[in-house]
Amino acid sequence: MGRLSQGQMIAAVGGVALLVATFLPWVGVSGPSLPAELPGGVDASTSENIWKGSSLDIYLLISGVIALLPALLAVTDSAEEFSFVSAATLLFGVVAVILVIAFLTVDFPDGADREVGAFVGLGGAIVIAVGGFRAMQEEVAGAI
Amino acid sequence: MDANRLSQGQLVAALAAIALFIISFLPWFDISGAVTVGGTTIGGSQNFNLWEAENPLDIYLLIVILVALVPAALGLLGDGGDAPMASMATALLAGVGTLLILYQIFDTPGDLGRKIGLFLGLIACAGIAVGGYLSMQEDVGGERY
Repeated sequence: MGRLSQGQMIAAVGGVALLVATFLPWVGVSGPSLPAELPGGVDASTSENIWKGSSLDIYLLISGVIALLPALLAVTDSAEEFSFVSAATLLFGVVAVILVIAFLTVDFPDGADREVGAFVGLGGAIVIAVGGFRAMQEEVAGAI
Repeated sequence: MDANRLSQGQLVAALAAIALFIISFLPWFDISGAVTVGGTTIGGSQNFNLWEAENPLDIYLLIVILVALVPAALGLLGDGGDAPMASMATALLAGVGTLLILYQIFDTPGDLGRKIGLFLGLIACAGIAVGGYLSMQEDVGGERY
């Protein structure tokens, strides 16, 4: 793990946050709650994570895995050259930020609530982009 | 403007990106249903293009189109300069875009049906990825057509 740069570690943390976020609730729908003793008296609130009803899930999975790739390669001691991955991390992180923001604003279902997973996912995507950018800067500085 | 300023890969990616943009306005999904009232069945269907379907794929593919077109446009205008990331970005984003469209073919949202735009979009996006890959190789070899 000592071979990882600061940027790669930041991106890896963002990748873990993004992958965890995909299993948290993103969209919540609240309905009227009736007392449990009444017929049909249940809380009608429900929430869904990102794995239902959106292709965003696959993209975020790919972005998270790419952000984690340098850390995974370092753990397995199987690579020495990460420069391509750092650029890809920055690229996928920036696009993930755009897609999550678009999902939370333009594409968000009417009448639904934004749940914690959406914000953790957005934060994770931002951290991946920042980590990818720092990793690239560190590579440029190391090359000079 | 001189098309000879573009590499073969950039040209392939740009043409495929223009094709994908046009294809995005064709029907990609449809929803159909039927009701039977008093023995009479009434049915109907509604088509959705890429932009009408509530799916983040539209924003993603717009990004792919722009990433493929901007370096080519700058190259045509003679203002290309060095964009070392452009070919890699085009190949990577379009490759993932192809996977996402393929995923939509096998797992359409809700009860939506597949229409011609989805399949043509898959081919066009794969074309952008191939163009980006060729452009990457040309960058490495320093070869320009």
